[in-house]
Formats: sequence, structure tokens, C-alpha cells
Amino acid sequence: MSGTLRGKVAVIGIGMSPVGKVPGRSPLWLAADAARKAVADAGIRKREIDGVLSSHAFASPFHRFSVAFSEYFGIQPTFSNTLQVSGATASTMFNIGAAAIHGGLAKVVLVVAADSLMTGLTPDLALRSLTESRDQQYEMPFGIPVANTFAMTAHRHMKEFGTTPEQLAEVAVVQRRHASRTPGAQQTTPITVDDVLNSGMVTTPYHKLDCSLISDGGAAFILTSAENARAIGIEAPVYILGGGECYTHEHIFLMPSLTTTGAVESSRKAYAMAGYGPADMNVAGVYDCFTGTVIMMLEDLGFCPKGEGGRFVDDGHMTYGGRIPSNTHGGLLSFAHSGMPGSLFHFHEVIAQLRGGCGERQVTNAELGLVHSLGAGFATNATTILGTENTL
Amino acid sequence: MIPPEDAARKPLPAPDADTAMFWRGLREGHLLLQHCTDCDHVQYYQQAVCRGCGGEALTHRPASGHGTVHSFSVVHRAPGPAFKADVPYAVLLVELEEGPRMISTYTGGQPDDVTFGMKVTLALEYVTDEVVLPRFRKA
Repeated sequence: MSGTLRGKVAVIGIGMSPVGKVPGRSPLWLAADAARKAVADAGIRKREIDGVLSSHAFASPFHRFSVAFSEYFGIQPTFSNTLQVSGATASTMFNIGAAAIHGGLAKVVLVVAADSLMTGLTPDLALRSLTESRDQQYEMPFGIPVANTFAMTAHRHMKEFGTTPEQLAEVAVVQRRHASRTPGAQQTTPITVDDVLNSGMVTTPYHKLDCSLISDGGAAFILTSAENARAIGIEAPVYILGGGECYTHEHIFLMPSLTTTGAVESSRKAYAMAGYGPADMNVAGVYDCFTGTVIMMLEDLGFCPKGEGGRFVDDGHMTYGGRIPSNTHGGLLSFAHSGMPGSLFHFHEVIAQLRGGCGERQVTNAELGLVHSLGAGFATNATTILGTENTL
Repeated sequence: MIPPEDAARKPLPAPDADTAMFWRGLREGHLLLQHCTDCDHVQYYQQAVCRGCGGEALTHRPASGHGTVHSFSVVHRAPGPAFKADVPYAVLLVELEEGPRMISTYTGGQPDDVTFGMKVTLALEYVTDEVVLPRFRKA
């Protein structure tokens, strides 16, 4: 497709702060730690960064996190924004960062986000911060946490397609196994389906182990034009091949279908721009705030037909040797979930897989990867497709 | 940062210019829906323009109060201190007879009694002098 950003922008540096429980460190410190590592990984100097994109951090007092970050990090960018579309923000930072570079607004964009949901907020306030994100008049008075909106979609999926609690649990089991091979992951103790089913109900059909973690941590990435990446001698850049987004509703009661989401359209657009389809993908980062979310996304992203996500997972298709190894770092369920930055860890993993440096976690011949970020009860969906030099 | 005393207080709706009529309707015993006289769109929640055609020819009419449970989730772990005393409670996604869906909670029975497709009917909860919440019980 001519005129789009396909293959025009490369990711040349990645970095991650410690994740999980990281006491005594502010979101800005975590962001700067990740950024420092990404800059070093790219082999550039921080003053070369002229664009900064970030998301809001609950545990930070700064409303303009991207601006506060730049001051903290000692840079003065000429392109910046603090984005907020809940969990989908991660993917939108890549899409917008790539568009800014392709459109000439910036040459080197730092995508960075971090939060301290585990140690920067009390557990009740962390939860409250999530209810606060629901509508003050038509949702919140009924005590509906954001978890509940996702729970109602999974519950309806079970009713319509016969998806079982055991199939939901299997997602958590697989991802825990993945996390056990990821250095620094927050939860690495193996679990079984029974462990998930016996972990205590949070909001039906979700048990505690069907729910993602609450964590501290952040990640950062350096984006620049493919041309510039070659000019400065980056050895194996990973290219952004396609992006797509879709926003179907704000209130859960206006979601057009509880079981088919905006991920269908956001991924369709991303695949179209990339010139590849779901069957071409070698590895995926699939937003996994809850187990059922993954099952629905494997369907909506086109990896299996609608209604068959539960069986797809049961048959081993979301892990090594299956159709689409997903969340090979452990995901939000077992690696870490620090809120809006959470999906950046999926990016970190998929890019690391495409670089081929994942050691015992490595997916063989990983050339094409997809990351799907979403949030707010499927209100926000954003997909990014990445590939190696061979896929251009 | 939310002070702990605020976290323990249940959130109450604060009506705005678009929604004042809706909350007044509940105080008077009616669950109001907006009907567009131009395109026949029926909408919940209340706003100044029709989400169907963008027009402003909207009239408020009381809903029958009858609906079915499209989906639900029983909350066992409260979203913050304010709802701790209420668990377990069933959050409902009710599909009203007139078409629109709305979020509510189940009242007048055990949360485990709620099923998909269950017929429910409006049950008003008088929370304060100003606020009446639309909840639902088994029809």
C-alpha cells in the first residue's frame, strides 16, 4: 500500500525497568530507567530524541506525564503528547509515533510509560482508580468495576458459545508457564486449571487467577525512520508494518455486541496496511487483562473462528508449537500489569522475539508479530503489526 | 490521590444539563427514555442530541420497566471500600423492552438466582432525597 507508514518506521531500541514490586521508585524513575536502557540499546544519545509519547500514570501527580518525563530525563522535545485511551494506549503510541515520523513531525520518537500501581497506591485506592474510570452517572453508582465490564462480556461468551471456566483457566495456566521462563517476571510459580478455579471468585466468571496482576514497572522504545535506522547502522531493526484502531462505545451498555469487539476492525485495518493476514503471524502479544479477554481476542484478531477461542486455547494453539504463540513473556496475567504501560511489555516481548534474542523462550523463525492493546471494557482497541527486514 | 474517607463513600450521580431530566424522572417514579420523533431512535442515556440522526427532536417517555438480563456478573470482591458491605451482588446488563440496554444491580433476591434471559422489572431505590437509583428485581 503506497502512502502509508508501512515499513517506513523502525524500532531501534527497547528497554524495560524492573517490574512487579518495585518500592521506593516513582513512575518517572521507572520511565527514565526504561528510557535509559532503550537509548543505550539503540546506541544513540538522548539529545537525539525529538519526540516523546507517553500515557498517564495513576501514581504520578503530573497531568502531562510526557512533559514531566522530558524534564526529568533532561530533554526538550519538539513533539510530545500524553495519550489516554486506557489499555489501548500502548499500541496507539506506536501507531501515532510512527505516523509522526512518517509525516515529518519528529525524527526520533521515544515511546515511554510507567506506573506504580502495586506500591504507589494502596490496593483499595488502586481498585478505586479503576472504578473512577467508569461513568459517574450510569455505571459507577451500581458498584461496577472495570473488571465487571470485562466479566460480563466473557460471561455472555460462555452463554453463546459454550466456553467453559476450564478453558478460561487454561489461558492463565499457559501464560504462567510462559512467565516461568521470563527473567524478572512477577509470578513464576506453575499453576493448574484447578488452582485457577479454586483461587476465589472476584466477579463471575472470573476467579482471582483469571485476573491480571497489579504491578509497578515501565518500558520504553526508540522509533525512527527506516532510512535513519540504516544511516546510523542499526543491525536488525524491527519495522512497523501496519496499525489500526477502533472505538465502538464508551459505556458498556452501548457496546454493539458483547462478544464481538472493535478488535475485528482495528486488526482488519492493521492487516490491510501490512499486507499480511492472521495466518502469516508468527508471534502475538494479546491484551490479557482477563483470561476470557484473550479467548475473545484470538477470535477477533482472526486466529480462529468466532466462538472457538476456548477450544483453540485448549488445543494448545496459543503456545509453542501451536497456531500463534501468544504472550510468551507471561503477559499481564503473569509477567506484570502496571496499568496503561502494561501492554508495552507485550511490545517489548514481540520485538525481542522478532530480533531473535529470547533464548529458551524464542519462537522459531519469528518474522511477523502482532500486538493488540485494548481497554475500558473493549471500548478502545488498537493493533500494531511488526516485522523483520525480510517482511518488508 | 483519593483521601480514604472519600473512598469509603458510595459514588452518587451528579446530574448535568443533559441528564437532569432523567434523574428528576426517577424521583417522580419513572425511568425515562428519549424517543426521537424524527428517526424513531430510542436512547438511554440522556443527552441533548439523538445518537441516531443527530437531531434535537427528543421527547422523554417513561419506560415500561420491563426487560431481560442480557448479561450479568456477580461481584464477590468489592471495587473499593464503599461496596464492601454489599458483596456478593449481581451487576446486570438489562435489555429494556424498548430496546436500549442499561447497567443496574439485582435486588429483592439472591444474586445466584440471576440467569441469562431472566425477565426483570424496575425497582426504584430511594438513596437520598435527591437520588433514586433504577434497580431491577425478578419479574
